[in-house]
Amino acid sequence: MTITSSYFLLFVAIGAIVYYITPKNWQWLELLFLSLFFYYYAGTPYTVIYLAISTLTAYISTMIMQRERNRTECRRAVLQMAVFIALSVNIGLWFILKGRDIWSFFVRGMQEHFYIPQVDTLLNVQLISALGMGYYTLQIIGYIVDCYWETARPQKNPFKLFLFTVYFPQLTTGPISRYDQLKVLYDKHKFNYQNIAFGAQRILWGFVKKIVLAERVGILVSAIVNSPETYTGFYSWIAILLYPLQMYADFSGCMDIVLGVSELFDIRLAENFRNPFFARTSQEFWQRWHITLGAWAKDYVLYPLLKTSPIIKIGKLCRKRFGKKAGKFLVNALGMFVLWLVMGIWHGGLKYIVGVSLWYWMILMLGDLSAPFFKKVTLFLHMKTDSFSWRIFQSGRTYLIYAVGAAFFNQGVYKGMAMLLDACQVISRKNYANPWIFFDGSILTTGITYRDINIILFTTLLLIIVGCLREKYGCARIWIKNQSFLFRWFIWIGLFVFVLIYGEYGPGYSAAEFIYQGF
Amino acid sequence: MTREEVYERLNGVFRDILDDDTIELHDETVADDVDGWDSFEHINLVVGVEEEFGFKIPMGKVVTMKNVGEMVDIILELGK
Repeated sequence: MTITSSYFLLFVAIGAIVYYITPKNWQWLELLFLSLFFYYYAGTPYTVIYLAISTLTAYISTMIMQRERNRTECRRAVLQMAVFIALSVNIGLWFILKGRDIWSFFVRGMQEHFYIPQVDTLLNVQLISALGMGYYTLQIIGYIVDCYWETARPQKNPFKLFLFTVYFPQLTTGPISRYDQLKVLYDKHKFNYQNIAFGAQRILWGFVKKIVLAERVGILVSAIVNSPETYTGFYSWIAILLYPLQMYADFSGCMDIVLGVSELFDIRLAENFRNPFFARTSQEFWQRWHITLGAWAKDYVLYPLLKTSPIIKIGKLCRKRFGKKAGKFLVNALGMFVLWLVMGIWHGGLKYIVGVSLWYWMILMLGDLSAPFFKKVTLFLHMKTDSFSWRIFQSGRTYLIYAVGAAFFNQGVYKGMAMLLDACQVISRKNYANPWIFFDGSILTTGITYRDINIILFTTLLLIIVGCLREKYGCARIWIKNQSFLFRWFIWIGLFVFVLIYGEYGPGYSAAEFIYQGF
Repeated sequence: MTREEVYERLNGVFRDILDDDTIELHDETVADDVDGWDSFEHINLVVGVEEEFGFKIPMGKVVTMKNVGEMVDIILELGK
């Protein structure tokens, strides 16, 4: 059961109706039941055991911590041991199952030098990981650490904690929620028309992004990526420049569905996107893209790391040796390196670490280094840095930087690099440019039609308009809500019909999995 | 230590780390009000504050403090 299927919508509709007629004290139990039902049909049922193990370790460790704190003399070592064991079990389990690409690479390397036959058997065992493991593991880690830091009170009911792990809308693709934000799961929820309307609208908009836009752009991008020898020159540009759009429509569309579904149950989840392509710098981009992952890594990796005494000592040493600014920059670079490394590892593959994490880390550091220089240049040339054209230039530059990393993300380091080099040859190699592909119909050989192209252009325009409304009003739905009755319904019915007619679904067609579902 | 004394020393730390002598902190000052106070500088400031006052601010407080007023409250409490 994928979240774009009609079965899922039916499941959600029935679930929501039952939810509001269930006695309020039992609502959380119904959510738990729905989540397990969803897991049974969406994942490999027995893997739910991994979620149970995670929950149980978190439960036991936090209970030990609480008991220890209630003693007259709290032993710090016990607290630390409880956290250490719980985190090790969760990280270890995740790493064995999801980090296979990373550890098998090193184990294979070791095998070449010291061959152990049993290890080969180990390498060949195919283990099935749990659904949404990357997401719920981070949530559970956050919960354990929050209890250790005393920013959250431990949940005494293990089944309630289990609901925090398995809550179905966000299980497969996030957002990564904090325990504090999700405590509303256990509250009593009254039926509210506004929630249902807003939730449904958001789901609809998610469908527009996913099955109208992302699926279509996907046709074009995959055709080019799958046969790079046929599609060269400007085709490479198309694939490189359109993949971020596909990924955004796919991932943020999925988030719209997830947040919308959750809103139907009166549970607000954290936003994962805030118009990322409006960002003017790469730094800002990452504050607007996959926000909950970045925030998680900042709070639970970067901050604790930079507060450790070895790093503080290194910082002092660097400042002494290289001066205040350079010293600060070096510590900054080190912290960011670890942060990006962790995010790369979380994605579970070497290509993400090398191609994506290293690339963005390098770009961010270069940005930091060159910022004073560019500030001087813009001042010297009297550039109007607040003008519309300058903003467009900055956003375009940020998009391009993201697109390069996204090419690695999509195709791996070698293929991504080959495509980027091919795209560069349009400029550097004589007679290599093939601009006629845009006009002579040869683009249709990728399997896309002119109708598809028009729909892509129209939906992208819609996306930009909604983005502008969101920048200005915080949320496009609120703006629409304040419009006249006729206009409002025209928009929603129009969008609904648009999805019905132009959505890629139905018998014989199965929407591609969400890009971010695998983590 | 009075609140005023804490503010005086805190202003010094912020001015030094963010390289801006015009910084003047108040109870309601939040990160957005101060140029350069981003999520990265936040932790540098915390470390700077720890060095200045000579105690460790617990991680739980680091991630939850909402404004300078809360930071001062924490310092006063830890400095007792």
